Amino acid sequence: MRPIPLWLKSGRVQTGLVILFVLSCVAIFAPYLAPNDPNEQNLLSILTPPLWSAGADPMFPLGTDSLGRCILSRLIFGTRVALTVAFSAAIGAMVIGAILAHIAGYFGGWVDWLIGRVVEIWLSFPPVILSLILMVGLGTGLRNVVLAIILVDWTRFCRVLRSEVIVLRRRDYVAAAQLVGFSHWRTITREILPGTLPLLITLMSLEMGVAVIVEAVLSFVGMSVGSETPAWGQMIADARQNIYEAPFNLIAPIFAIFIAVFGFNILGDGLRRTLDTRLTQTERT
Amino acid sequence: MSNPILAAQGLSVESLGGKERFPVLTDLNFTLQPGKILGLVGESGAGKSMIGRTISQYLPNGFAVTQGTLKFDGEDLVTMPAGRRRQLLGREIAFIPQEPLSGLNPVLSVGQQMKEHLLRIGLAPGEHWRERALKEFDAVHLPHGAGLLDKYPHQLSGGMCQRILIAMAFASRPRLLIADEPTTALDVTIQARIVKLIAEMQKRDGTAVIFITHDLRLASQISDEIMVLYAGRPAEIGPAKALFSAPAHPYTRCLQLANPTITGERRGLFILPERMPGLRVLKDLKGCRFASRCPNAVEACTLAEPPFASIGANHIAACIRPEATPDIVPPPAVAAREIEAGKMHLSGEKVTKAYTTNWSPFAKRGTFKAVSNVDFTLGEGEFVGIVGESGSGKSSLARLVVGLDTPTSGKISLAGRDVTANNAPDRAYRRDNIQMVFQDPQSALNPRRRIGSIVTQANEATGLNNSTRERMDRAAELLKEIGLPPDAASRFPSQLSGGQKQRVNIARALCTLPKILVADEIVSGLDVSVQAQLLDLLLKLRDEHGFSMLFISHDLSVVRYLCDRVLVMYRGEVVESGRTETVFAAPQHPYTRSLLAAVPPDDVMTEWSPVLAEAGYQID
Repeated sequence: MRPIPLWLKSGRVQTGLVILFVLSCVAIFAPYLAPNDPNEQNLLSILTPPLWSAGADPMFPLGTDSLGRCILSRLIFGTRVALTVAFSAAIGAMVIGAILAHIAGYFGGWVDWLIGRVVEIWLSFPPVILSLILMVGLGTGLRNVVLAIILVDWTRFCRVLRSEVIVLRRRDYVAAAQLVGFSHWRTITREILPGTLPLLITLMSLEMGVAVIVEAVLSFVGMSVGSETPAWGQMIADARQNIYEAPFNLIAPIFAIFIAVFGFNILGDGLRRTLDTRLTQTERT
Repeated sequence: MSNPILAAQGLSVESLGGKERFPVLTDLNFTLQPGKILGLVGESGAGKSMIGRTISQYLPNGFAVTQGTLKFDGEDLVTMPAGRRRQLLGREIAFIPQEPLSGLNPVLSVGQQMKEHLLRIGLAPGEHWRERALKEFDAVHLPHGAGLLDKYPHQLSGGMCQRILIAMAFASRPRLLIADEPTTALDVTIQARIVKLIAEMQKRDGTAVIFITHDLRLASQISDEIMVLYAGRPAEIGPAKALFSAPAHPYTRCLQLANPTITGERRGLFILPERMPGLRVLKDLKGCRFASRCPNAVEACTLAEPPFASIGANHIAACIRPEATPDIVPPPAVAAREIEAGKMHLSGEKVTKAYTTNWSPFAKRGTFKAVSNVDFTLGEGEFVGIVGESGSGKSSLARLVVGLDTPTSGKISLAGRDVTANNAPDRAYRRDNIQMVFQDPQSALNPRRRIGSIVTQANEATGLNNSTRERMDRAAELLKEIGLPPDAASRFPSQLSGGQKQRVNIARALCTLPKILVADEIVSGLDVSVQAQLLDLLLKLRDEHGFSMLFISHDLSVVRYLCDRVLVMYRGEVVESGRTETVFAAPQHPYTRSLLAAVPPDDVMTEWSPVLAEAGYQID
């Protein structure tokens, strides 16, 4: 039997993985878990309080919003949007950022200069404004949200990874690989990528947390998925008007966002501590 | 005799990690008189640095003094309160670290650090720290001290940083100085100057010095007394000259014979087998710690730890048969070979490489000639050494030869083919004919690949014989040739020692059976015993495969031992070349002369007088 890898022994990683596993199950099995149709309006029972308060309706465990929609069902279905965006946006940003970072760091010279300047110009736009502008241009919809987040956040990967690639590029084993006749492609994939992979994975899990927040921001201002798809940011926006009568309507989605982001971040932090060779090496010495 | 400045009595340091205890230093007894220099010599892991750390009570986690006393001028450093120790450290007891660059704080200017130190040790009334700093810089022969104060460490050379650290160490007129391998990271010529400088300052202030080094020859030149450590226990203690000219402990003798000579008859190297026993083994070891590697070991050696035998005045050795030690003789020298003229594998004509600084369309580009107009040849089976200080262009030349860089001008031909252009067919041709062994084994082996995969990388590149089976078979063959156990193939580089990694490094280069190897400083930074093993391995492999080699090194004695011919490089140019014996016996160029003079002589009775500055040939 193979020993359990070091990173799986970290409590942070385990906590993060458990949270994400639960959230993923919720998203996948949403139709079976949700007590009601998330979009069904019950105008007869609007703003009912959650179960533990007086006057609750057992049909709606966490109460209803101002249109009489079930909060719990909307939260459960909202997980789908949040996780879809988190995974696809993070993977997309990682792929673009990592490819450009490896090219820039490996080849250096004018290629590096060009990519570096593009990243700098890109970074000079405030990210939330940039994503809003993109959403206005692209129109609402799940695919466009993912695209907007990718286009805003790939620079983060590119920057951080590039410096790591440069460090590895100067190692003698990369020169040795060239001497035995490795192609550039093989040198990058076999010699450099294994070294940058821990950082890549770490960055990706952190990026997922960021994507959840950006999606919530966009859907809060109604620039994300359409109003027919429940999303956490939308729920916060809807609950604003009745903040005093039904504070729980606001608290529930905020709590959901908090849990999801916490899960991604603690996973990322745990991975960083156990996988990042720079950290593990300094701790060992 | 006056009171000793430092006296250790029964000093033992143990590692207390977990439930078990491992001995790190065992029963250390020595005294150091004021104004004397004690050389501490041994391989890495012998516990040399641990003594320095015990003095400052800066031991690694889990290490503690478990027995004995260490008295500084009568006060026990081990039991004294931390406050008192802080008063002593940096004032009465000063340190010079191994890595000059990491000894200084990179984000503070030299002046800021000097000021902080001078204010801490206290200035004379009415004295400004600036004047004092300049005075101290003057004493260590640092010209233009005022300009230095505003500089940051990265703007200075290693030798200059080391001088600044020496100035700081001596600023408080300490009574004890601990110099932990202060010259290991430096070039020979700078090493000579730094060592002379420490000796000069030591005489000025009458400071007692503990000089830690792995170089027995250097220690015998500078020290009054030498303590040779083996696995945490002294093997031999004695007056430097007596100890070096007639070592009584087999370990001292073996260390001496493992180091190649710089003058006189060429002799073979004594190969100390294996490695020093680790802490875990030591714990249960009954007999002499050196017995497993000792050529003179008899059965009695493995039964009980040998007591110290008195050899002469103040000269003791932990050996039961010290009279047998002179019987250890070096193997005969490798016979000098005649290289047939005309059979040239590799040649270069007026090879030049100019580097441009950072690429940017806006910045003005500067150029810098790393290699300029170098001519060289390498015959079949010939070993050619390239020597010079750092920055002389040795490594740049190596990169040009193997094709990691393309020359700006000139011509390189390899086995009858012009490979100057370094295009794809040239590179493929090079791959089968020339390979490189890299300097730093840490950086040369991908930490995420297994050894078996590293040594057969060439198969992966060509796609020939690339099945797992074939690669494992080839790896097993290669590992056998370089003397590693077959199970090493499935290990990762981090599980090997420095010497073993360097062997893997050589095996990778040999995989395609190239005609030429280029070795860039492959034995620097290794212990003399490991160095001797590797040099021996190279000679053995040459006999089997008949390759030729460009051997780059700053260590002249190693080049003298190994190479048939030698090129001396200075600032990108070859200033002298010829047969090794001729060049070393009668150097023509002043730079070669100063390089040779910087090496401590083999005979301890010979006065070591490094040429400190010959007109026009000085780096630093």
